[in-house]
Amino acid sequence: MSKFFKRIGKRIVAGLVMILAVSSFTFFLVHFMPGNPVQTKLNTLIEEGIPPLQAQAQVRSMYGFIPHQPLYIQYFHYVWQVLHLNLGKSISYSGVPVMHLLLKAMPWTVIMVLTGLAVSFIIGITAGVIASVKRNSKLGDGLLLLSTFLHGIPQFIMALGLAYVFTTIFKIFPFGAPYNAAISPGFTIPFIGSLARHAVLPIAAYAISGFGAWALTMRASVTSVLGDDYILAAELRGVTPSIRLRYIARNAMLPLFTILTLSVGFMFGGSIFIETIFDYPGLGYTINTALAARDYPLMDGAFLMITAAVIIATIVADLLYTVLDPRIQRI
Amino acid sequence: MGADLKVIGNADQDAQVECQIRDLTVTFTTDSGEFPALNHVNLDIIKSKITAIVGESGSGKSTLGLAILNGVAFPGKVTEGSVDFAEHGNVLKLRGKALRHFRGPVVGTVFQASQNAMNPLARVGKQILDLGRSHHYKDPRKLLHEAENLARRMAMDPSRVLTAYPHQLSGGMRQRMGIIMALVLKPKVLLLDEPTTALDLLTQSAVLEIIRSIHRERHLTTILITHDMGVVAEISDYIVVMYAGRVVEQGSTHETLRDPRHPYTRAILRAIPRLTGDLNRARPLEGSPPDLTQIPATGCVFRSRCSYRVPQCDLVAPILESVDTGHFVACHQEGLIRD
Repeated sequence: MSKFFKRIGKRIVAGLVMILAVSSFTFFLVHFMPGNPVQTKLNTLIEEGIPPLQAQAQVRSMYGFIPHQPLYIQYFHYVWQVLHLNLGKSISYSGVPVMHLLLKAMPWTVIMVLTGLAVSFIIGITAGVIASVKRNSKLGDGLLLLSTFLHGIPQFIMALGLAYVFTTIFKIFPFGAPYNAAISPGFTIPFIGSLARHAVLPIAAYAISGFGAWALTMRASVTSVLGDDYILAAELRGVTPSIRLRYIARNAMLPLFTILTLSVGFMFGGSIFIETIFDYPGLGYTINTALAARDYPLMDGAFLMITAAVIIATIVADLLYTVLDPRIQRI
Repeated sequence: MGADLKVIGNADQDAQVECQIRDLTVTFTTDSGEFPALNHVNLDIIKSKITAIVGESGSGKSTLGLAILNGVAFPGKVTEGSVDFAEHGNVLKLRGKALRHFRGPVVGTVFQASQNAMNPLARVGKQILDLGRSHHYKDPRKLLHEAENLARRMAMDPSRVLTAYPHQLSGGMRQRMGIIMALVLKPKVLLLDEPTTALDLLTQSAVLEIIRSIHRERHLTTILITHDMGVVAEISDYIVVMYAGRVVEQGSTHETLRDPRHPYTRAILRAIPRLTGDLNRARPLEGSPPDLTQIPATGCVFRSRCSYRVPQCDLVAPILESVDTGHFVACHQEGLIRD
């Protein structure tokens, strides 16, 4: 048992080092991006005819502070603050702590993307199994074609298409905003109903554009497992179809678990296109705002969170694997 | 050809047929045409005896094994013939549940790739229980008990091997496990497809010894598919030599190995190196193994590699004829082949 904790401890330490490395990298990358928000605002004001000194004062009051120190000092400051779980203050939402903004955006994304992920995974896996088992029939060909087609459509086109069809042509679902502003938020049936109605299209967009990838991966995986000796052996030993299907499904799902766990990690990046198109105030939307406004602290914070989530997901995937696949040495 | 049985019966008064194969033809359809993997095969598998089916790769011996289980799968197809089992009729007509309960409880199979014939994600004991559940075993404990006894027979620790995952067992243990999974349902026919390939010599002889003793003890009808003449000589009662989807020679093992009549049988026997004497006396078989796409439509299938070839071989396919009591050969030149 002590060995178990030692291994887990090792992975956590390695994970922390990795988070630090990746977040340092993104910190510098973000800061080397062309375009300085303060300078841009200053130039706009001057172009509007405001005297330079007055413009500078206005900008200073607008952003709260002007990052004037050398980059490496900003970096050490950033790391020191991160170690204290302080991600700094946003520039575009002047003065609001980044942590506060991220925590506020997180539930929207987690509910939307997690539901979308679950729906696309379940439908995709089922379609993949059918497409593989019936691969010599019209049904299999049709599923393969549909999966490839849907996989090829970018998320934002899917989102725009769904929005156009279901909010403009057929006015079935509302467009924009996460809930009806006329209903006061609270734990009431009309409010929850409104939330659900507004969430249908974003979730559908996510699920439909993700479904193809799961179906194609699962189809390939099942096809390879179907050719394995133990499946034929089970058939020739007279094992029932349902037990055989269980053998096939468990073996074919193995490689997909890694992808699923990583997807859950990447989920914390939200879906920028879908959230922006549907005006959904999740993490993707927040990142998009931060990018547009050159809101460095918010960007750094959001990227740090994605990094941490993906690295944690990787560790979880590793641990999960030792449970799912007996061939991998238990730690 | 239906007379085979009677002649063999003359040699052995008590011989009874367990499985009767008639005119069995299996065709593989590929992009470049249709190829017969088995061509009008006639065969009687004698009850409570070990029948060895030998041949190179491409001879159709594994396809024959699959056909006995009615397991020929796409792109192969049984186009003609029948496989009749004493109490079950023509197996090729069985479908669904009837077929499922034939595979396993009637014919137990040990697979060519027995190393990989178990689900890697489930414990061995669990897979034996899955077998029991598939065949409506009322008492799973009895089944496990049977598996434990067999494991002990095969010099394995039952509590260890039944709780292990397949990857935790050695190659030889997995092979023995494959035999246990074939025997645990108490079949009356045991079909072994290359049971000792990929095993080292010591494990090989141990596995053969187990097969032989269980065969005797349970009065099993055993079908042994192999390319290893040493294995054939050691344990089989009857031998069936196949080439390019046809039976070219068959008879009792003793008689056939003592006096092989088909040029192919002679050639493969000559290719075996002797333990004593000059190693150079072993002569490899010339030419390449039969390629299903290249089999001539007329004449003898072996003629391109045969040193006894005469013009007749190009025109007429030789039929299997009796040359001695219970000994059959398909060769025009059979009469000339004498040492």
